Amino acid sequence: MSHDAISAGAPSGGATQGAATGQVHLPLDVAILVFLRDRGIFVLWALLLVVFSIWNHPYFATINNAMLILSAASLTAIFAAAVAVGLFSGALDLSLPGVAALSTCVVGVLLKQFGVPVPLALLAGLGVGMLCGLVNGYIVLRGLNPLIVTIGTLSVTSGLAALVVGGYAISGLFELEFMGAARYFGIPSHAYIVALVYFALTVFLTRTRHGIRMRAVGGNAEAVRRAGLSDQRYKILGFVISAMLAALGGIMTMALVFEASPSASPSILFTALTAVFLAGVSLAGGRGSLPRVLIGALVLATISDALTIAGVQPYWATVTTGLLMIGALVFDKSMTEAISARLVQVSTLSVHEKGKK
Amino acid sequence: MTQPSNGAALRLSGISKHYGYIKALDAVDFHVHPGEVVALLGDNGAGKSTLLKVMSGAHEASSGEIAVNGKTVHRYDPRIASELGVEMVYQDLALVDTLDISTNLQLGKEPLLPFPLNLLGLVDFRKMHQITETQLERLGVRTAPAERPVEMLSGGQRQVTAISRAAVRLFERGKGTILMDEPTAALGYEQTQMVQGLIRRMAEDGFAIVLVTHNLPLCFAVSDRIVVLNRGRKVADVPRGEADHSRVVAWITGAERAIA
Repeated sequence: MSHDAISAGAPSGGATQGAATGQVHLPLDVAILVFLRDRGIFVLWALLLVVFSIWNHPYFATINNAMLILSAASLTAIFAAAVAVGLFSGALDLSLPGVAALSTCVVGVLLKQFGVPVPLALLAGLGVGMLCGLVNGYIVLRGLNPLIVTIGTLSVTSGLAALVVGGYAISGLFELEFMGAARYFGIPSHAYIVALVYFALTVFLTRTRHGIRMRAVGGNAEAVRRAGLSDQRYKILGFVISAMLAALGGIMTMALVFEASPSASPSILFTALTAVFLAGVSLAGGRGSLPRVLIGALVLATISDALTIAGVQPYWATVTTGLLMIGALVFDKSMTEAISARLVQVSTLSVHEKGKK
Repeated sequence: MTQPSNGAALRLSGISKHYGYIKALDAVDFHVHPGEVVALLGDNGAGKSTLLKVMSGAHEASSGEIAVNGKTVHRYDPRIASELGVEMVYQDLALVDTLDISTNLQLGKEPLLPFPLNLLGLVDFRKMHQITETQLERLGVRTAPAERPVEMLSGGQRQVTAISRAAVRLFERGKGTILMDEPTAALGYEQTQMVQGLIRRMAEDGFAIVLVTHNLPLCFAVSDRIVVLNRGRKVADVPRGEADHSRVVAWITGAERAIA
C-alpha cells in the first residue's frame, strides 16, 4: 500500500527546533506575556509595597506594620482559599458565611454550655463544616445550579446557627486565644494557620493525584468522566474542603473577638471574592493558583493599611480595591488574548511531526 | 469482500436502531480489522454517527449483535467498550485546557512517587512526562513538549493530543479499535496532514480505526476500505482501490449502490 499523504504529512517545521530533543520552546515574547499573566499579581504587590514605603515613610515599612497587614490579610486569605477551592472544582459556594457562623456557634455552645475540651470542640466545628459541604455537594449533584442551592443553604445554615445559640451571641470565649490574637515569635497566630493551610492545599492541588483530578473536573468534567473517573466524587470533595475552610475561618474570627455570633456576614465573602478574582481565578472553573490568591488577600490588606496610615478616608480603600479588581480582569483578558494572538502566528512553525518511521 | 472474515477487531451484525417510528439504521453489517482504516461515509442523516455511537456504546442498538475481538458482547456501554479496547475520539476533544498534555494523557492513571510519598498521593511528574514522551514517540507525534498546557496548543495539536490519548489508553493491551468522528473538522491543511499521518501510523501499529467523515480527500488519503450508508442502509463496502470520487458521491447521494 502506498500512502501519498504520509510524505506530505511531514511539514518542514523541523528547522525551527532542536531536532535531537524535539523540544519546542515558547517564543520569548509569549513567555513574557505568560509570565505577566501568571505572575502579574506578585509584581503588583511588590510595586505597591515600594510605592507605599516611600509615600508613608517612615511608618509603612516597619515590622510592626507588616504584622498588622498579615493579621488583617489572614481571615480574608482563609475565606479566599475556601472560595478558590470551590471555583477550582467548578462551583461558586455562597453558603460559606452561613457555614462559618454555624460552625462557630456549635463550637461556642460546646465550649461554654457543655464544657467540651477545646480540641474536641474544634474538631466538631470542622465536622460541621464537612457536613455542610457534603450536603451542598449532594444537592448540587442532583443537577441543580450551585449558586441557587448555596443561597438556600446560606439561609438554612445561618438560621440553624441562630437556633443553636438561641439567637444571642456567646461571648467571653477566651479559651481560643491561642489561635486568635496570640503571637508566637512576634508573628500573629493566624499567619501560621494561613501558611500551613496554603502550603498543604497548594501541594494537594498541584502535586497529588486527587488534587489534580479535582482541578481537572473544574476545567472539563467530561474529560475526567471519559478517563473512567467519577467527576461527582471530586465535585463533592471541592464543596467539602471549601466548607471546612469556611468553618476554620469562622473559628479563627471567633478566637480573635472572643465571641460566637450567629449572624453570617456576607461582607467577608465579597472581600474573599475580590481577592480571588484579583488573583485571576476564573469563575468558569479549573483555572487559577492558590499562592496568587494569598497575594490577592495581601494586596487588599496592604492597600487598606497604607491608605489608613496616609490618613486617606477609608472609603478610598474600597474604591481602590474595586477598581483594582476590574483592572485585573481587563489585564488578564488582554494578556490571554495577546498570548493566543501570538500563538496563532507561531503555531504553523511549531506544528511539526517526525517523518515516517 | 464484504464477507466478514475471522479476526475482526470489531464486528457489528444486523444492527438496527429505531428512534420512535424513525429507522436510523436498518440491518447494517460492519467490521474492521486490526491495522485497517475504514472510512464511514454518508450524507447528513444517513446514520453514520448513529452507527458510530452504537460502536462506542453511547447508543444501544434496537437489534443486532456486537462482537469485539471475536467475542460477542451482551451488555455494552462506553465504559465496557473502553474496557474491551474500543476508544472513541470525540469531536469536542474533551481535553482539560489548563492542564498540560502529559496530565491530560495520563489522567486516571498518574504514576506516584515511591513509598512513602505515594501514601500522600503525590504524583511523579518526571515519570509521567517520560511515559507520555515514550508513548508519543511510539506514535511518532512530536507536536509540543509534554509539559505544555493544552490551552497553548493550536487546533491541530489539540486534535493530535486527543487522538493520542485514545491511542495511549490502548497501548497497555497492545491492540484495540479507535473510533473517530470528523477528526479533521475545523483544521487547516497542514494540521489535517498531521492528523492523517498519525492515523496511518496507528494503523501500521496494528490498531483498527473507524473514521466518520465528510471529508472525501481525507477518506481517500488514509482509508483502506470505504463503507457508505444511505438512509440507514449500507450501500457500499469496498476497498479504497475500487472506489473513486464520483462513485463514492453516487453512493452517498443514493444514485447508485454497490450492494444489492
